[in-house]
Amino acid sequence: MNPSPPGYQPASPRTYVVAADPSLRVQILDIGLACCSLEVGSAITTGLLVDSATVQSPGHGATILLISGTVTDALAPAVLRAWEQLPEPKAAVSFGACANTGGPYWDAPSVTKGVDQLVPVSVYIPGCPPRPEALIAGLRQLRDEIPVN
Amino acid sequence: MTNPSGIPAQAHGVIALTASACTSCMICVRECPAWCIELESHDEEVTEPGARRPRTVSVLDTFTIDFGLCMYCGICVDVCPFDALEWHSEFDYAAGSPGGLIQGINELESWQSKP
Repeated sequence: MNPSPPGYQPASPRTYVVAADPSLRVQILDIGLACCSLEVGSAITTGLLVDSATVQSPGHGATILLISGTVTDALAPAVLRAWEQLPEPKAAVSFGACANTGGPYWDAPSVTKGVDQLVPVSVYIPGCPPRPEALIAGLRQLRDEIPVN
Repeated sequence: MTNPSGIPAQAHGVIALTASACTSCMICVRECPAWCIELESHDEEVTEPGARRPRTVSVLDTFTIDFGLCMYCGICVDVCPFDALEWHSEFDYAAGSPGGLIQGINELESWQSKP
C-alpha cells in the first residue's frame, strides 16, 4: 500500500443531531470523495442533520467515519489514516454504491472495491447516490446495532 | 405524485419485481452496466390439446439484484419488455453487511405492497 499523501491531515469531526430524533447525536467525519457527498451536504442544508451548536440535546455519541464516494487505491491510505486517528468509540458507515462495493467502477483497476477492505464498516447504505433521508435511516440503524449513544 | 413522506413516487429508491410477469428473457441481466442482476430459470414443456407439438416455456427460479453494486440507472426498468421491473421510492434498507444488500425474489416482490 502506498504511503499517505504528503501533508495530508484529515479534517476534524463535527457534531450533529438528527432533527427527527434529537437523542441521536453523532460526531461525523465525512470523507466526501464523489457525488455522494452532495447528498450528505444536502442532509445538513435541508435540516435533517442539525449542527449541535444550535440545538440542546443530551448524550455524547460515537464518532462516525462516513465514507461517501469513490475510494481509489491511491486514496486508500488516507482513508485508513483518518479512521485510525478517530477517537473511540467509533464506527464506520459506507454511504453509496462506490463505497459499498466499488459500484459502477466494479471493473476499474484503480478503485477500491468496497471500503470494508480498509475499515470495519458497521452499516452499508445503498444508493447511487442514496437520498439524504437514507443517511438518517442508516444512522438510526447504526444505533440499533452498536451503542453510539 | 409523491408518497406519504413527500418523496416523488418515481424516485430511484429501490427496484421492485413482479415475478409472474418475468419471462426470464435475460435482457435486464445483459443490459445492466453494473452487472448486478442475476437470474436462473428452467424450461418446462406445456402440452395443449390439439397442438402439433408441446410448447417450451421458461420458468423463473431465482432473481437477485445486488443493491451494493446497483447504480440505480433504471436501464433494466426501461428495457424490460414485460414491465416486470419498476421503481419504488423506498430508501430505508441499509444493511450490516454487503451481502445484506442482495435481494431475491421475495424481497424484490415485497416492495410492490409498500405505499
